[in-house]
Amino acid sequence: MAGNIAAGPLSGIRPALPLLAPAYLWLTLAIFLPLSAMAFFSFMTDLPLSGKDWSFTIRNYAAFFSSGLYVTLLWSSLRLGLEVTLWCALIGFPAAYVLAKVLKGRSREAIFLLVILPFWSNGLVRIFSWAMVLREGGILDVVLNAILPFKISVDLMYSYPAVIIGLVHSYVPYMVLTCYLTLQAIDDSLIEAARSLGASRLQVLRRLIIPLAMPGLIAGAVLIFVPVVGSFMEPRILGGRTGTFYGTVIEDQFVAVFNWPLGAALSFILLAVVLVILAAASPVLRRAT
Amino acid sequence: MTRLIATLTATTVFASILVFAAQADEVHVLNWKGYGADEPWAVEAFEKATGNKVVNDFFNSEQEMLTKLRTNPGLYDVVMINAAFNDQAMSEKLIQPIDLSKIPNAADISPDKASSPMLNHDGKAYGVPWVWGLTALAINDKSFDTPPASISVMWDEARKGRVVIRDDAVEAIQFGAIATGQNINDIKDMDAVKAKLTSLMPQIRTFWSSENDWNQMVASNQIDVGTYWSGSADRAKTQFKLPVSLVIPQEGSVAWLDAFSIPVGSKNVAGAEAFINYMIDPKFYVEWVTKVGAPVSANEKAVAALPEESFNRKVMGDPEVAKRIQFQAPITDEQREKYLALWQELKVNVK
Amino acid sequence: MMSATRILEGLGRFYIGLLLAFLYLPIVIMGLMSFNASPFYQLPFEWTTKWYEDLSRNTQLLAATWNSLEIAVITTVISTLLGTAASLALFRYEFRGKKFLQALLFPPIAIPWLITGTAMLIFFFGIGIGRGLHAILLGHVALALPYVIVVVSARLQTFAPELEEAARSLGANQWQVTMRVTLPWIMPGVIAGALFAFAVSFDQFVVSYFLSTPGQATLPVEIYAAIRKGFTPEINAVSTIIIAVSMGLMLITARFFRFGGEK
Repeated sequence: MAGNIAAGPLSGIRPALPLLAPAYLWLTLAIFLPLSAMAFFSFMTDLPLSGKDWSFTIRNYAAFFSSGLYVTLLWSSLRLGLEVTLWCALIGFPAAYVLAKVLKGRSREAIFLLVILPFWSNGLVRIFSWAMVLREGGILDVVLNAILPFKISVDLMYSYPAVIIGLVHSYVPYMVLTCYLTLQAIDDSLIEAARSLGASRLQVLRRLIIPLAMPGLIAGAVLIFVPVVGSFMEPRILGGRTGTFYGTVIEDQFVAVFNWPLGAALSFILLAVVLVILAAASPVLRRAT
Repeated sequence: MTRLIATLTATTVFASILVFAAQADEVHVLNWKGYGADEPWAVEAFEKATGNKVVNDFFNSEQEMLTKLRTNPGLYDVVMINAAFNDQAMSEKLIQPIDLSKIPNAADISPDKASSPMLNHDGKAYGVPWVWGLTALAINDKSFDTPPASISVMWDEARKGRVVIRDDAVEAIQFGAIATGQNINDIKDMDAVKAKLTSLMPQIRTFWSSENDWNQMVASNQIDVGTYWSGSADRAKTQFKLPVSLVIPQEGSVAWLDAFSIPVGSKNVAGAEAFINYMIDPKFYVEWVTKVGAPVSANEKAVAALPEESFNRKVMGDPEVAKRIQFQAPITDEQREKYLALWQELKVNVK
Repeated sequence: MMSATRILEGLGRFYIGLLLAFLYLPIVIMGLMSFNASPFYQLPFEWTTKWYEDLSRNTQLLAATWNSLEIAVITTVISTLLGTAASLALFRYEFRGKKFLQALLFPPIAIPWLITGTAMLIFFFGIGIGRGLHAILLGHVALALPYVIVVVSARLQTFAPELEEAARSLGANQWQVTMRVTLPWIMPGVIAGALFAFAVSFDQFVVSYFLSTPGQATLPVEIYAAIRKGFTPEINAVSTIIIAVSMGLMLITARFFRFGGEK
């Protein structure tokens, strides 16, 4: 979680207000109040908008527990979020390290920017391009068969791995960037000192670098895990028949049946679960720092 | 609480009127994208003939269309509504009765469609039938020497992993009803439908959601057969030259009827009537079919104007086909939610 | 010793190359397909500039692209300013309810955008904000803010508060401390936050979709409306132009400015 070591000498909310107020007022108007209205709707049988009678109910929340369906789906979405986060950390952290500590000079800025650029392309167009790479007879299939001496058939499209690849591709830049921000701040002389005192590279990494880079790793993990759990576009398009997740059933409630109250209730359950997980993980993560 | 809602609604209406004060000679049309009404040549011809300017807006699902009507009162002049949703739109007071005498071409609409109880309430017409079509099967021509006759091809072991079905609960359940020989509007044995669809799941490659999905998959030769809309199959063949053929299985097909309505609060009713008249005109229809590919017009004269060998005239007009098809009737919200729950369960358990 | 470092350096560069290849694979394909004749990404490849010609005539798509760029730039400026200010406050001051304020950043990230978008639509109607570019901007800034705050805060954690104290004890006022000491240190975080904000806004579909009015759509809204029936590689063409132009701008920026926080 951001800012938990804060040790500024100043206390009291009054001096903080001028800095905080603009951002939080904006968030209140555009997010918190609308979401509160939505939370209110999630306890209703029907939307007043649809012109039908409505009353208060907890039916929408009870629906979550009434069948194993939603629990199963939420579980597989959480697993998906965890897997994608782990892959992003494994791929992104070393890249951030190289960027922050190995590359010097101007090429670093250029590469730093190049890592973010794919973000600026449209998510859907990116997914379509992946479809072209992953399918049977697609780019990956053709290239591998051209390189390898034996014939293999690569068809990853419409599978769980395809979903993972698509999501990791979309989210790995978050991890590279947040890790870079904390890694770059580590003083090189600190590392040199540790090395000259006889620490091996691995020890330096484990005892010095990873702990110091922890805030970045955590920020990256949060920025990846949280939205992936609710994602629906990548699973739907790349996952094929294995692409049904918690996010896709929420989408269905909004798009296919106009049952906003149920869709809202499902989203708030998702939010609660995610917050509980983050709260439970924070002491563990803080100890690791 | 009621007062709050009333205030909310009042503010909504007021704000919308301020924001969306449309010009009188504009016709705001709400329809699927790429569905006839937004063809550039058609818009141009209509604008030239009537002096009205067409402003298109699109929706991606029927629910979204209703939401757009609800939250933008007074914005739209013409809306395209599937006949099965007409009743709901009317009872929510989203659309108004249409004066058919102002729409000369309406006289040529086939009587069974024009008098459809789905579009007429209390002796007033709330929708002008435009086109109809089928949700049938389409095949990849490269994968079949002779087109299959039966719906059972979807369950054929040899086609495993090369079958697609649309990710839509109502369509899927109704498809299951046809496969089990039931009436799609009165499904008595839901367990049979469920069992039938459960056995279909291992066959499925993916669930498609847009025409573009289907066309991409067939273009890259990833699929053999799947459910598809008749107009889309025609378009894939005509406009995109893809190896796609429509199959109307002997077990039958789901049919739907699309109609134009005029929303309550339209500021240009005369323009709306002119636009609807143009949309059901034989001249527009023939051009649409030839250039782009389209479903079957509800206007008998428009269909008669097609070449004799054309699919929409020969196959879709075949009385034998007419016997096999079942038109979709309105579905209640409860049914829809029940269908969705079943469909989601099927999709989750397939893993 | 020296050679081991060299080898590690070489490996590092190679690894970055692999990562960039992974990141750019779909982008390259997107670009290639904008020059391919088949609208369904069909192979074999057949060279054409037809999609670019179509694009130059497609005023609707071009207008939507401009709308998106405008909104994304304004969103970036506002959310970076407000977000950096808020991160500073959260870092510098201790007060009751701080944890709560920090936790409040998660709902906008965690709740699927579909729900947030619907909620905004209903609420903005209720209070008379309505739909349109102003409403889209309101929504985009709010969605980008948590990202900016989380990213800038991560960088701030590497900052030693003693530096601020030292500057203060030398007689600098709060404004000077912030501008001369703190901001330069967190600059890489601020820039990263700004780039995130731009991406969040530029690729934002759901909220724009609910809040846009006909004729005022943004690029993602046009793209999503197109996939239902008429998806054409014009979309690839416009995406390719955007990527190529931004890549050029970025490389020029990297050439002439240092912002990597070089000490």
